[in-house]
Amino acid sequence: MDSNPSRTDAPLIVIRNVSRRYVRGIDDVHALENVSLALHANRFIAFMGPSGSGKSTLLNLVSGIDRPNQGDVLVAGQRLNDLTEDELARWRARHVGLIFQFFNLIPVLSARDNVALPLLLTHLDKAERLRRAETALRIVGLEHRLDHFPRALSGGEQQRVAIARAIVTDPVIVADEPTGDLDARNAEDILALLRQLKHDFGKTVVMVTHDPRALRFVDEAYHLDKGLLLEGEEAARAEAAIMMAAGGGVAAAGARLGR
Amino acid sequence: MLPVSYSVRNVVARPGRSLMSASVIALVVIACSLFLGLIASLKRTVSSSGDPMNLVVMRKGSENDGASWLPLAAFQAIRFFDGIARDAADQPLASPELVVQPFFHTHAGGRENVLVRGVEPVALAVHNIVKITEGRMFTPSTHEAVVGRGVVGRYVGTTLGSDLAFGHGTWKVVGILDADGSSFESEVWIDVRELAYDARRPSPYSGARLRAASAADLEPLMRRIDADPRYALHAQRETEYYAKQSESADSLYILVIGIAVLAGIGAGFGASNTMYAAVQARTAEIGTLRALGFSRAAILTAFELEALALSAVGFAIGAASAVGLSRLIGYLLGGIAFGAATSTTNVIMLKVTTSDLLGALVLALAIGICGGLAPAWRAAHLRPIDALHKA
Amino acid sequence: MKYLGLVLANLRRNKLRTVLTGGAIMLAVVLVCLLLTMPAGLDALLNNIANNTRISVHNKGGVVYTMPYSFTRKVRQVDGVLAATATMWFGGAFEEDGRVSFPNFAVEAEYVGAVYPDYNIPAEQLADFQRYRDGAIVGRQTMHKYNWKIGDRITLRSTVWPVNLDLRIVGEMPSDRSPLLWLNWTYLDESLKAHGYRGLGIANVIWVRARDPNRVNAIMRTIDDLSRNSDAETACETEKSYFANFFGSLQGFLTIVLIVTALVALCIVFIAANTASMGVRERARELAVLKAIGFGRRVIFGTLLAEAIALSTVAGSSGVMLAIGLTRVLKASTGWNPALGPLGSFMVTAPVIVQGLFLSLFVGMLAGVVPSFGAARKPVVQTLHEVF
Repeated sequence: MDSNPSRTDAPLIVIRNVSRRYVRGIDDVHALENVSLALHANRFIAFMGPSGSGKSTLLNLVSGIDRPNQGDVLVAGQRLNDLTEDELARWRARHVGLIFQFFNLIPVLSARDNVALPLLLTHLDKAERLRRAETALRIVGLEHRLDHFPRALSGGEQQRVAIARAIVTDPVIVADEPTGDLDARNAEDILALLRQLKHDFGKTVVMVTHDPRALRFVDEAYHLDKGLLLEGEEAARAEAAIMMAAGGGVAAAGARLGR
Repeated sequence: MLPVSYSVRNVVARPGRSLMSASVIALVVIACSLFLGLIASLKRTVSSSGDPMNLVVMRKGSENDGASWLPLAAFQAIRFFDGIARDAADQPLASPELVVQPFFHTHAGGRENVLVRGVEPVALAVHNIVKITEGRMFTPSTHEAVVGRGVVGRYVGTTLGSDLAFGHGTWKVVGILDADGSSFESEVWIDVRELAYDARRPSPYSGARLRAASAADLEPLMRRIDADPRYALHAQRETEYYAKQSESADSLYILVIGIAVLAGIGAGFGASNTMYAAVQARTAEIGTLRALGFSRAAILTAFELEALALSAVGFAIGAASAVGLSRLIGYLLGGIAFGAATSTTNVIMLKVTTSDLLGALVLALAIGICGGLAPAWRAAHLRPIDALHKA
Repeated sequence: MKYLGLVLANLRRNKLRTVLTGGAIMLAVVLVCLLLTMPAGLDALLNNIANNTRISVHNKGGVVYTMPYSFTRKVRQVDGVLAATATMWFGGAFEEDGRVSFPNFAVEAEYVGAVYPDYNIPAEQLADFQRYRDGAIVGRQTMHKYNWKIGDRITLRSTVWPVNLDLRIVGEMPSDRSPLLWLNWTYLDESLKAHGYRGLGIANVIWVRARDPNRVNAIMRTIDDLSRNSDAETACETEKSYFANFFGSLQGFLTIVLIVTALVALCIVFIAANTASMGVRERARELAVLKAIGFGRRVIFGTLLAEAIALSTVAGSSGVMLAIGLTRVLKASTGWNPALGPLGSFMVTAPVIVQGLFLSLFVGMLAGVVPSFGAARKPVVQTLHEVF
């Protein structure tokens, strides 16, 4: 794992001995088993793994959409388990910006209104809300699409609107398979944009993906399999396997390691 | 906390389905408005006939002045009681009257009982609300008649100048009376003695109307007439008298409420149905909103607002249609006749007024709020994690 | 029929939707049935009660005008007349109520039975009516309303005659629809004389029973001829015509009732159609698969239509039964309504039931046809394309 060795600040996100189990139909699913890790601010982080590995569950715990059966999740010092359902909702509004695979824009709102949506939960007045929404859209390069409705935007553009929505309250950015529904060109653009957000604006981005291209853009990648966090050798092997499968081959692996 | 435009835009975004749901509500609104308008029109006609300064004197136990009788001697006595107003010639404003309901024939060949009131000219002074607006009042003993606005044209021979045949005789229509939409407009007035003769009544009067000199005179006058041991009479305020007449219409209100409740519940089920489908279709969207941090209350409110918006649209369509329909009915059918099971036909023009529409509005909103509640509740309580289809 | 299982399973698929739609249809059918009882009540009165051999004889000027009582004798002598009775409106208010709450007439006790054999009053009760001067025969509806029994004594205070009469109930008209009260002609006549009046020398309506229905017109003409140029010219008409005219002015009200009924029925169609099309939309994928497997258009159309019909007929039938139950309750608590008359009898008669059931069936067909047709007709390839 290459990381800037001079990291002295405390971790932004702490996941401590977290387990998550639930019942689906007649199955008893162990989504996560005793996972612990610490994530620092101003990083672009990926959770990777095959389907059913628990990476999405882990992401949901970090963003406060789900609660663990055991263990704790702390974000910026706040222990999420301490919050009630409604408090958690309010917390999410201020501290987490969400990006989904299928964009999840509100079809009846324009791009600008979609981006301004999270700001409704703050105390800003209307003019300020719209100003920030426009700023966010400018950052993602869509200032000429302010009044378009989602159905009039391409896949890539819709995801960028979603990203703009995610950054508008200045939070931790949590992305679930953000490139899953996009073609190659758009996927790369999105990944580049996320990296730019981290680089130019100091954001923290946590992403779940099975897209091997992601490895070229992220600072850290964590690998999960069957609910367990892989460490050390196992992790490296998993990473290499991903890159091989993507056909990037040794060259791609080299490009990654060379950073 | 979600903007109102979110709810409104969702209603507009699916015009076909929204219109379908709104139409169901609109139909209920029309039904409710028409019935409320009908009963309100009936009550308005009857209750506006009462002058607060007038008394109705009838035989004790009589329900209406068509089924009563007043001995001549009784009238001669009471007309000089204290407290009765007097005209310029110092004659008491006491109007002896005879009410008979002969057959009148409609142009369509039907037959209705119409109230013919035998009066003396003093009746105009006692019944302030009645004005002869066309032609003139009849001259006594000349077989002339004045005809109420609601009667004109409805029956054969009721237009100004024509010969009106009923009972055993014929009367010439010399005037048309207007009475501010009250039940007097459904009546025909002729000379009381002519009517008594025509109807072969041994006793010419069925009742009397008295005008009090002042409001303070009403009570003592009523008591005195009731207490008189010679005749079994009962005096009551004209306003109360007509209020009682309209009481039979009150039972119709129960009918309307019954219809409204049943129809409302049915429409509510329909609205619920549609909303449930909408919630189901928008699960991902709802999950997103919850994930973004909108509270359950915010989602509940947003969906309830959608239901209310649908109700509002439904009400608008229904209200406009109801008013239009009532005009059409009035144009095609003329007045609606009521009271056939009693002996008098009251012709009322169906009018849907704002207060009727208000009742229908309440119903429409209730349908929206109640019908939308369960689906909105479900939407609000979707767990973001389930809604976002996360594994 | 082998597809019945499939149809039922599909209805069970979304139980909430089935319940909500079924509930809406049921309530609307209840409403329609209740509304339809109004014109039905009038029809029942005109068809069932109105006898085709009875004639009403009344003053040409109106029912409120009268004829001399002696005319009755002349009427009885007309060729073809089986029996005739004079009747006079008594307008009695029952003490407790203080107002006229049921129609009451003075009739001739010796003849009234022969004029109204279809009222099925037991012979002994008619005999008692003749024997006891103060006897009264009361219709079952009013008997129930006041919980009277044969043998009870009541007092009626007339609002048009200057007497009050104490009556003894000696008989009952065994029909739930009858609110009438009959008292003795001679009793009223004697009471009037006892108070110093001239007695009961006039009649409102003379009711005549003809021997043969074919002779009715001739009899009516003869009676009218008899009275022509007299002081009380008569206008005879059949009983059916009499009631039809009497309630003819209710036509306007009935029109509104029918309009509202139509609106409610339309409502139901909308609701059912909405549900049907929702169901079809959601199942696009399955339908495509079924068609790909080889189920023909007709089968698919048939099962989809059967679903809509099954739901609406079950819901509608429940609605009809609920309406019957509700009217029983209503009848027990109301009675003769002065504003509505026979319209307020709230009887769910056979025609109403048939109309209600037919409506449900019709709604199902109408609502189901369009979406089913569309779904069945769409080519397999197109549907698969849209879905996958």
